[in-house]
Amino acid sequence: MLIMGEVHTGLLRNLGELSETECREVLRLTSGEEPRTWQRPLLYAISPDVLTGVDCRLPSSSGARIRGTGTVSHRATIVGGRVLQGSSYTTLLRSDSDQRLPWSHYLAAPGVVEVYGRPRWQDMADGFVTPEPPMDVLNVGAISGRLMGAVQDSARLDRKTPFKTTRTRLRWLFERDDARGDGRPAMRLTLGRDTMRTLRFTGEPTTDVVAFCEDLALHDWLLTTLQTLIQRALIGTAAPAQIAARLSPAIDHLLHLWMPGARVEEPFLPFWEELERHPGFTRQWTSSVARIRDQITVNTLSLLSVTESRREADGDPSPRRGVPQDRTQSHSHPVRRRIFFRADQRSRRRS
Amino acid sequence: MRSAFTEETAERRVESTPLSHVSIELGHLYMEDYAKGFEHIRAQFRLVAPWVETVRSSVGGKARVSTCFLIDDYFSQFGSPDAVVPMVIAAAGETGLTIDYLAREAGCARSGEVDVARLVLDRIVADPAPGTNGARPPLVKSGWLCNGRRGPEAGGFEAMGAEAQWHPPVQNAARRHSIFVDVELWDEPDGARVWSCPYLASVWQLMRLGLLRDHGKPVVRPVPAAETLPSDWETLPSLVQLNPKAQPFSAYRTASVLPSRFLPVELAVRTILSQVAVDPEVLHQVAGRAHGERLQLADELVDRVSYVFL
Repeated sequence: MLIMGEVHTGLLRNLGELSETECREVLRLTSGEEPRTWQRPLLYAISPDVLTGVDCRLPSSSGARIRGTGTVSHRATIVGGRVLQGSSYTTLLRSDSDQRLPWSHYLAAPGVVEVYGRPRWQDMADGFVTPEPPMDVLNVGAISGRLMGAVQDSARLDRKTPFKTTRTRLRWLFERDDARGDGRPAMRLTLGRDTMRTLRFTGEPTTDVVAFCEDLALHDWLLTTLQTLIQRALIGTAAPAQIAARLSPAIDHLLHLWMPGARVEEPFLPFWEELERHPGFTRQWTSSVARIRDQITVNTLSLLSVTESRREADGDPSPRRGVPQDRTQSHSHPVRRRIFFRADQRSRRRS
Repeated sequence: MRSAFTEETAERRVESTPLSHVSIELGHLYMEDYAKGFEHIRAQFRLVAPWVETVRSSVGGKARVSTCFLIDDYFSQFGSPDAVVPMVIAAAGETGLTIDYLAREAGCARSGEVDVARLVLDRIVADPAPGTNGARPPLVKSGWLCNGRRGPEAGGFEAMGAEAQWHPPVQNAARRHSIFVDVELWDEPDGARVWSCPYLASVWQLMRLGLLRDHGKPVVRPVPAAETLPSDWETLPSLVQLNPKAQPFSAYRTASVLPSRFLPVELAVRTILSQVAVDPEVLHQVAGRAHGERLQLADELVDRVSYVFL
């Protein structure tokens, strides 16, 4: 028995953040079926599960031709009215039959793909996490991708994004604890060279497997996106106002979304704890957030010093309301003042 | 300390419906049958009656059995409920049959505010042909549903002008040889969608099996018959309970006693039903109740649907 899936994560194509009602509208993929939403600890919306039928070759690292028939479940989620996830998954089980049965048989057990013959689970598992599997094998990633596209095409969205981001993909594979006994780690997360991540882990199968993978994919995307924003901000090279402008989307749209494990049930929390120890997701996040806030502070201080210097030039000695006088004075170095002023002008023209 | 926190919008509430052991359909008539009058209708019920008894006795004397009859008011409307319904009840009564529930076929397309046909359409998961690996969207021909891989389009030409080689259509779950079925679900002759008879008959089966929900609520509820029947079909409720003492309308399984001329329609119905993925929560609920009553319930929907063809 194996459970395999792929989660795609990206920014929802809408300038503003969606409300709970709007999330419901966007995720209403099946008539007569209402998406579910949560307000605590942050807005979270999930579409009903939808099924896709497959009858095809299954992944195999040895190149063996194994065939399976059944359905792949998929669902879309919106986190914080801002981040969209397309998630598809299926459970592979051994078929009692050597031949294809009537389709009603497979619909009686939704989200299961039956494997013909004697399945070699390890071979299939290894094949699934191969970066580029053959074209004709089960492609759950394509199903997630199409689902993302279908939601992004919703008439409710204005199809504009507040900043550029990249979609990340988490391909995951879950094995029952007793499937392996080779002493290898119970979880292995690999960051690929591009936007692909792979996760292999073991445990007792429950429905929460998918929720854990979606939670991990979300936080990996948040980290990836935050890192990209920081890189693009050219800290240390660009002017503080420019840096602040490039970092502001993080403050507006991302920072409040960081809640690892918030939607993960008890049995999967140890996996998060492990990821926090090594490599330390929250460690990197906290340090990045601190870096962003420092940059914004530097820019604020520089703006204040510009204001002060203007006032001095105008011969107005009275401090502006709400601005602590001692702070503005302490940053009124003539050379820096000039540089900041130019940067300030540039950013204004641009906007 | 133990604490609990829940949010109502995060919960799914799926109502359960009362269930009989079996729902028996007492035949089906076309418009021309009604046009032939009372004698003809009574003759039809006379053919049906002994088989209804056979079904009843096969499930045991203590089993909950309800009977139903579907009137076709979708494709053509004839007469008025206040004229046709009493005639049907009387014709059935003279052969010893009691119609517990009377349904309108138009109610299988839309029942009140609920677009029932659409509801089922969104739950169709097409039977995948070998080689379907999820990479491309499911191959669907708009308005049609089949049980295999279609042959090439007639008169199709391949590149370079060579005539396309004919390939036979293939059934996905063929037992050596194919029985390929391709069902038209709807057409849109004047821009408005008209659902096909087999499609509505599939919805009818799902209603009788108590498996359809709209936002967690059953799509139809039987309405007790009013003292006087209306003169137009639209005013008549989708499902009328004629017998106040009737057992529940929906049942664990259905049995339809039908003239053999309906065999192609029912083959199409089974082709459609084989591709409907019912809400797992509802399936679970029904299975749990069956278990509670120590009943054997088939996992596959088509196995809960049986027929007597006359």
